[in-house]
Formats: sequence, structure tokens, C-alpha cells
Amino acid sequence: MPPITIHAKDLSKTYKVPEREGGFGAAVQSFFKRKYKDVKAVQHVNFEIAQGEVVGFLGPNGAGKTTTLKMLSGLLHPTGGTSNVLGFTPWELKPEYLRSMTLVMGQRNRLSWDIPAADSFLLNQAIYRIPDDEYKETYKELDELLELEPLVKKPVRNLSLGERMKCEIAAGLFHRPKVLFLDEPTIGLDITGQARIREFLREYNKRTGATILLTSHYMADVTALCERIIIIHHGELKYDGGINDLSRKIAPFKLIGVRLAEVNSHDLTKYGTPVENEEDAEKQYIQVKAEDVTRVTSGLLADLPIHDITITDPPIEDVIEQAFNQ
Amino acid sequence: MLLIFQRLWQVNWAEQWQYRANLIMYLLYWLVSPIIYLAVWTSIANSKGDVNGFTANDFITYYMTLLIVDQITSNIVIHTFGYKIQDGSLSGELIRPIHPMLTNALVNNISFKGLTIMGLIPVWIVLFFLFKPDFSNVALSGVLISIPAMILGFFIGYLLSATITALAFWTTRVYSIHEFYYALILLFSGQFVPLTLMPKLIQEIAQYLPFQLLIYFPIQVILGKLSTAQITHGFTMAGIWLVISLTLFNWVWRNGVKRYSAVGA
Repeated sequence: MPPITIHAKDLSKTYKVPEREGGFGAAVQSFFKRKYKDVKAVQHVNFEIAQGEVVGFLGPNGAGKTTTLKMLSGLLHPTGGTSNVLGFTPWELKPEYLRSMTLVMGQRNRLSWDIPAADSFLLNQAIYRIPDDEYKETYKELDELLELEPLVKKPVRNLSLGERMKCEIAAGLFHRPKVLFLDEPTIGLDITGQARIREFLREYNKRTGATILLTSHYMADVTALCERIIIIHHGELKYDGGINDLSRKIAPFKLIGVRLAEVNSHDLTKYGTPVENEEDAEKQYIQVKAEDVTRVTSGLLADLPIHDITITDPPIEDVIEQAFNQ
Repeated sequence: MLLIFQRLWQVNWAEQWQYRANLIMYLLYWLVSPIIYLAVWTSIANSKGDVNGFTANDFITYYMTLLIVDQITSNIVIHTFGYKIQDGSLSGELIRPIHPMLTNALVNNISFKGLTIMGLIPVWIVLFFLFKPDFSNVALSGVLISIPAMILGFFIGYLLSATITALAFWTTRVYSIHEFYYALILLFSGQFVPLTLMPKLIQEIAQYLPFQLLIYFPIQVILGKLSTAQITHGFTMAGIWLVISLTLFNWVWRNGVKRYSAVGA
């Protein structure tokens, strides 16, 4: 049994948020007496992650995923509970701790906006005390996987969202961290880019035995990388276990979208459960069990004048919402 | 550590060049008030012969020296760092194993200074030919002694401004506090008027405050106006204030970081 690298015990964070009604009177009143509302972002979350594990951290928007990652990486002081990562209390921000972990979060983190990424990389080399030969070797590896070379000489502000994300991830990995906290590491990337990052993370995990905790909106990220899933909803831990058990728990559904010759001309209730989907107003969506997809699709194609048909996974949020809201 | 500062310098220096126009506007803004004081006091002294013993040349040399000293000892950390605490962009720097304000922001200020001093030189030369100051009292020894005085002044000023900036962890509007701080500087540093022309009481108070260490003390050292005892007193005060400002900053920073809310992504 490998040692535990990440402990979270009763971890809680309550934000105090000032609140007031709109309007002039309320504005004056709030100047003298401010009202605060407690927002419980994370409540008594407990888990342990062993060295070398890759864990998917899921939950709808506002569930408390990012807040938890911020506490584990040391950016936030919790309002309750304790945590221990690699033997350190994260929020003490000890340099030895910061040198052995990484947090990749958002688009503007480790890179300086106005200068080429290559210069920021060199700065990080010095900050993390990476020897020259190790730096060159890591750069070569990262370049192979992420195709950095054409990007690193341009000022970061001129890069696209996906290009910036690649550079952010690279910048966060030069010091070969033992623990990786990744918040939406594939956001903004195209399908090939997402696959590359996944491949890279799997390879990195295998080669270095690093522990990875990642959040993602893409189910594919999670299924490709993680054997274990932690689900958090309304700040509370709802599920912690294998991804296979989870799919058994959550009935595997697919989403079929069809565009008919005449928009909304037929009732699709007899084929599956109709669902709202704002993405494409000209399409009607139904949810069907995964094993019924072939049968339903061929039925639809035979019966109706179909212009376009798509079969997709329902968004993670919807799946979790369905499974844990009842 | 040396390599870190070297690379920080490269990055910050390159960044400064991205904002040349902004830099020139800032320099012009910075120069306006000392040049106005210079012009006003010089014309008053010219019309009356002197002001409490200060001749026109005394004013000219004082303010011409002030332009340089102020450029070296001042800082803009409130403008370059305060917003990071408020909008959450500090996150990326906070999880790096170096102190955000004592390394990166510090180097950022020094590189900014490097550029503004380059911009100051031509302005200073023009003023020199315009006002024709008589610097014959300035001795090399005074200039040399002023160097450590200015370095100490810069660090004391930087740490005090950094402390005010770190108050952004509690209140999201620190600029008004800084305006108040700037008013104290104006009054007690010798920027508005040479301290010897101030009422006795203010002079007495100013002696023990840090603000004169940023401007008045280095100027007087350069112009050779101080006795050895006065210079010793100045350096003692600088040592004491360096310790006080460093302690104060560390305390505010340590407690502030606990309140950091890392808003945004």
C-alpha cells in the first residue's frame, strides 16, 4: 500500500459575503451597517489520496471543487478542519511544500502576460532551482507532448486560449511536482489538444508516480485518467469510489439530438425522455439508456424525416445532478 | 537566489519596455510638482533676496537634487501590486516558493526606476541650463555618503508602501489610505518645502519620522549641509526605521495572507 500523500479532514470553508438590496436607500444603510451572509462553500469534507493515484474531482458549478483545491494547494485558509499534503500543512505556504506541488488553475497564473512564455519558463527554472540539464530535458519532453516550440517565443497575450493553457500546464510542471492539483486542465482546448494533455498526464503519472487530483467538465478526461472519483455537491462529499461503481450507480444514459425537416413537428416521447437543451434550438433532445441507443436511433431514422442526428454523453453536471439531487 | 533576482530583472525589464508611453506620462506627472515648487520658491527668493536665509540658488540646488533623490527613493508598489490582492491574480505568485512582495514586486519597482531615471536625465539637463544652479558646495564625500542613505530610504519607503498595499487583504480600497500616507510624505519629507523652513514643531517631529529619510536627509547629505553628528543621527534613525518597517510589513503580510480569498480563477 503506497503512503497517503493528501489528507483532508473535516475540511470546511465558509465565505462571509456582504449583501444588500438594490437601490439608494439600501446603499446608504449598508454604509453604516453591513449585513453579511455566510456562504458554506465546503462542509466537512474528508478524504485521503495515496501516492500515485489519479483522482477525478467532480461536481456541478459552485459545488466547492475549486475552493477545495485552493485549500489543498495553500491559497486559502480553511474555516474548519485540517489538511496535510506531503507532510505539510498547505496554507503555511512553506517553500519546500510549494516546490513539490503544482496548482494549474485558469489562464493567467504562472505566465507573465506581456512577455514570451520562454522567459517565464526561465524565471521558473531559477525560482524552483532546476539544474540546467534537467530543465532542458524537461523542456524537450514537454515540447514533444504539447508542441510548445512555436508558442513560447510569442508574448503570452497574443496566444489563443488553448495555446495559453498548454504553456500554463508546461510552466506548472518544470519543477516535476509530486502532487498536481489541476483545475480544468483541458478547458479551451480542441479535441486533439485535450487528448494530448490526457496522454501527457497519464505518462507523467506513470513515470514519476505523482499524485494527481483534477477537476474537469469533460467526462472523457475523467474516464481516460481516473480510476477513482470524488463527487462533491453543495459543498458536501457525495461519493468517493471507483469510476466503474459510479457508472453502475448512475444509469448510463446517452443524449440523442435530432433535427427534423420541420422544427418540432413530431412528438418524440415514445422514443425516450425528452430533455431541455439550449445549445441548439432547432434540435430536439431525448435521453435514452445506453444499451437502447442503436435500437432507438434506427427507429428514428426509419420513422421520421431526419436532417441531422447526434449521439452524445450528457454533461457531467446533469448526470451528477440527476444522481445526487434526489 | 542571485539567479532568481537576475531572471526577475530580465522579465520585469522586458515588461517595462512594453509600456513606454505609459512610462513617459508617469514621469511627466512625477516631475510636475517638484518643478512647480522649484519655480515658485525661486521667484519668491529672487524678489525678496532670500527666504529665511534660503537664497534662490539654495532653492534651485535643493529641488534639482530632489528630482534625483525622489526618483531613487520613491516606489509605485501600491499601483503595481494592490490590484492583485483584490482581483485574485496574486494566486499564481502566492504559490511560488518566493515572497511575492520582497522579490518580484521589489524588482519590478527597481526596473521601473531604471527606466524613469533614463527619462529623467534629459529633463534634468534642460533644467540645468535653464536655472544654472551653483553646485560648488557639493563634495564627492557627500555624494558617496548619500548613496547608502538613498538605498536605506528606498527600502524604508518601499516597506511602508508595501505594508499599506497589504492592507488590501482587509479592505479592497487601499488607495485612500495611501493618499493620506502621501500627504504625510508631502508635509514631513521636505518635498513641499525644505524642512528648515517649516515651523520648529514640525521640524522636531519630522526628525523622528521616517519620511524625511526618503528625501530631506539624502538631499542635505549631498548638498553638504549636515554636521557629522547630524549624519550619524540620520543613519541611526534609518536603521531603526528599517527594522520597524520590516517588522510591521511582515506582521501585516502574514496576517493578511490568512484572509486572502483568491477570488476568480
